[in-house]
Amino acid sequence: MNLSMPDVGAAVGAATDAATISPLALFLQADIVVKGVMLGLLLASIWTWAIILGFSFTLRKASKQSRAFEEDFWKADDIDRFYEARGKAEFPAAKVMAAGVTEWRRSTAQKVIDRDGTRDRLATSMSSTIAAEVDRLSDRLNILATVGSVAPFVGLFGTVWGIMRAFTSIAAAQNSSLAVVAPGIAEALFATAIGLFAAIPAVIAYNRFSHGINRMESRLNRFADGFYATLSRELEAQR
Amino acid sequence: MERAEKIGLGVATAGHVLLFGLLSAGFLATPNPLKLNSPPMDVSLVDEVALQSTAPRISTEPPPPSVAPEKGPTEDAAPAAQPEPAPVPEPTPAPPKPKPVPPKEVAKPAPPKPKPTPPKKETPQAAPKPKPAPEKPAEKPRAKPAPEKPKAAAAAPAKASAKPAPKAAKPAAASGSGKAAAKPKGSLLGNDFLKGIDTSADAPRKPAAAPQAAAMGPQQKAALDAEIRRQLKPNWRPPSGADADQLVTLLEVRLDKNGAVIGTPEVIDQLGVTASNRPQAKLHAERAIQAVKLASPFRNLPPEYYEQWKWLRPLRFDARLNR
Repeated sequence: MNLSMPDVGAAVGAATDAATISPLALFLQADIVVKGVMLGLLLASIWTWAIILGFSFTLRKASKQSRAFEEDFWKADDIDRFYEARGKAEFPAAKVMAAGVTEWRRSTAQKVIDRDGTRDRLATSMSSTIAAEVDRLSDRLNILATVGSVAPFVGLFGTVWGIMRAFTSIAAAQNSSLAVVAPGIAEALFATAIGLFAAIPAVIAYNRFSHGINRMESRLNRFADGFYATLSRELEAQR
Repeated sequence: MERAEKIGLGVATAGHVLLFGLLSAGFLATPNPLKLNSPPMDVSLVDEVALQSTAPRISTEPPPPSVAPEKGPTEDAAPAAQPEPAPVPEPTPAPPKPKPVPPKEVAKPAPPKPKPTPPKKETPQAAPKPKPAPEKPAEKPRAKPAPEKPKAAAAAPAKASAKPAPKAAKPAAASGSGKAAAKPKGSLLGNDFLKGIDTSADAPRKPAAAPQAAAMGPQQKAALDAEIRRQLKPNWRPPSGADADQLVTLLEVRLDKNGAVIGTPEVIDQLGVTASNRPQAKLHAERAIQAVKLASPFRNLPPEYYEQWKWLRPLRFDARLNR
């Protein structure tokens, strides 16, 4: 009984070529479903990175400006003058202050001042401004969370599909040698690789940015409380 | 979309394109060291046990004739050598003829004896005939020791090669016809020697037909044992019971040429008998004898090794036989 295997040798030769293939070649060899999965995951990865870069830039800028604004605010002697000079800026701390000052001016414009009502309105307007600012900042974080949790599953779907296809190719070739299945499995696993490639930075960035947002929120809250205390004291002195 | 996000999108896209471009260009690709450049190998699965002799076959062709035209001249010289002083002139003709002769002189009459023996080995049938031949050369050397040595040595190649021997004998007869046929033969080859040669000439045919001389190598012996065990195995039903697997029965079995058992196998010995398996011991021996009888006649035993398997002693029956 002679087992000569020239065709297997040829297939192995093809497989060694396939072993050095590039991501582009893997993508082009893949099934249409796997191709779609890979393309979607690649777009998700690009989007994730775009959000990461843009968000970190925005957050850092906002927190730096807010901190500088708060320091300057506590040093300022006259709130009205400080507000006229810097209160119109487009970052969270300035907006919170603007909300407080606006509410103060409205409430103290009347002849009879309802002190308790004015305190409530000041507190509410500033906290709602903080909530709005935090919402605006954390707008894109949900995308990071979604990509981080879903991308591995999508990649896994592409892998399962590709491996199913590899098994059908085993059945078609009537040959279970590694050379027949290896290329199909490699391109199928590439889908999971892209999924993880998209998901890992997304998860890390999500955790980091939600922490940054939380810090920002608490900082704004502290600033709002301090400003509220100042305004409340002014209200006492108001005639 | 804010400006920061636009910048982020641009940078991310550029980064991805760069990364995948580098990967596609083989930036991180490690060269595959496992280039399978060895050609595919043919595998043949042989499931037959080699029970055939692997001993080299004896060639049916006669050995090539040795070029020894010196037979006639030496015989002529032999009569001249009869007087004692003759040996002195002899060496002069001798050197051209058999050069290796001088060293053989040391071995005196001994060399002629071993030389006839090789034909004996080749032809077991011819064994009785060659014997006289060595005897006579042996006798003659005693009569004239000096001249014989070179001649005996010269005769040696003649014996080794079957063909030239008769030729040598004929000139001897022709030259010696003038004198007494028996004595003057310088080559010391008697008439008996011719007989031996005749038989040895036909001899090579027989051993080639049936190489009986094939001695069992360890591989053949193992294969033979395995074959016998294989045929015994289906018929071997050892008794079961406490410590029954420790019992070993040794049998003595005689087989005829067809592999059939002659008579009844006899129990030589029983090993491993303990108090707990003593009740089973007799049954064990009976089952062993029964197994041999059921397995008889044994097939596929090589007839050329009949000497090896005609008397199987000891034939071992133990728990391992089942495995």
